Amino acid sequence: MKLERSKEWWIARAAREGNHVVLAGGPVADEERESPAELRSGNLERASLSVAASDAHIAFGRFVNLMRRSRGMGIEAFAEEANLDPGEVLAIEDDVHFIPEPRTVYCLALAFKLPQERLMQLSGLSKARDVGLRAQAVRFAASADPVRELTNEEETALETFVMILSKGNHSAG
Amino acid sequence: MAPADFSPIYLVDGATGSAVAAELRQEIGAAQLTDWVTKWQPAVHEIMRELIAKGVPQDRWPQSSHWRWDQKVARVSGLLAHKGFSVTATGVCQGLMQVKLTQSARLPEQHGKPLVYVEYLETAPWNRSDCVPVRRFKGVGTALLTAAVALSEQETFKGRIGLHSLPQADEFYQDLGMCDLGPDPHYPNQLRYFEFTAEQAAAFLV
Repeated sequence: MKLERSKEWWIARAAREGNHVVLAGGPVADEERESPAELRSGNLERASLSVAASDAHIAFGRFVNLMRRSRGMGIEAFAEEANLDPGEVLAIEDDVHFIPEPRTVYCLALAFKLPQERLMQLSGLSKARDVGLRAQAVRFAASADPVRELTNEEETALETFVMILSKGNHSAG
Repeated sequence: MAPADFSPIYLVDGATGSAVAAELRQEIGAAQLTDWVTKWQPAVHEIMRELIAKGVPQDRWPQSSHWRWDQKVARVSGLLAHKGFSVTATGVCQGLMQVKLTQSARLPEQHGKPLVYVEYLETAPWNRSDCVPVRRFKGVGTALLTAAVALSEQETFKGRIGLHSLPQADEFYQDLGMCDLGPDPHYPNQLRYFEFTAEQAAAFLV
């Protein structure tokens, strides 16, 4: 992409900026909520746990996406079945920063027939005490590509992850 | 790997008012992240130390001081729907922006139409009026925003862009004439959401 503007154009634009602060951005991911100072203080274990929690959150969006597609449903149809707003389903699937309402996770747990507590952890609404779940979520997120058609590998990854979510506390790393 | 796209642009020296040649690159690469670690971060720490020493309340601290660009970039690495931009002047990264191409407009008159969503935009601490009394360069944020609008045109989104503003920047987007859709209840702190229509974007690029 090439931007072709005159020197005067850029100078005029800079002048119009005045003394304003120019800054944009939604909420940051969990790991960024640690201050840089904390991250540099040597508390690597805490930092890495935080990163893993964020990955689990990314996995939540991919999980909902794959579960919906594995049922051959569009966003609107799935939202209607799960008694949810289509915009909220879209935000969950598409926006890694979006934190769903507890009611939404409850409805998803009902729709997927999965334990609500595990989905709450995955969604970022409750702290994941289960290191195994986080690790599995990271593996699942890495194996699932929400852009392509559901492949056999994704189908297998999804089925495996559903099994893990269906169980109680899982200690595998 | 093909070299990153770049366009020659100009910034304004905050102290002298003179024009300074710069580059707008469609890239956030190792060089930019190195500058973020070795130049931006120490500057931010110094500013934070001063603010704490002066007893400045937390709501007046730079609102992006906790951002970690290395993680923002790593999180979307290899994803075609995300693109990074940077501004370089005097051999140093002066501003960074990450955008996303899969979101749609919220304004009623363009609801559902695709737009370029500015996920994150930040200028170097020495270019921010909330961090230093005299900015080193003016125009970095505007240049990045120009790139977002130009990308939107290139993607046939007609210049439509959307973004969540941090409170310290609300006035800038309001003065720019972007549509202010108000605080977004879906986000913590209810950040204000702004959008450019195709017409506003066209006027912005003139």
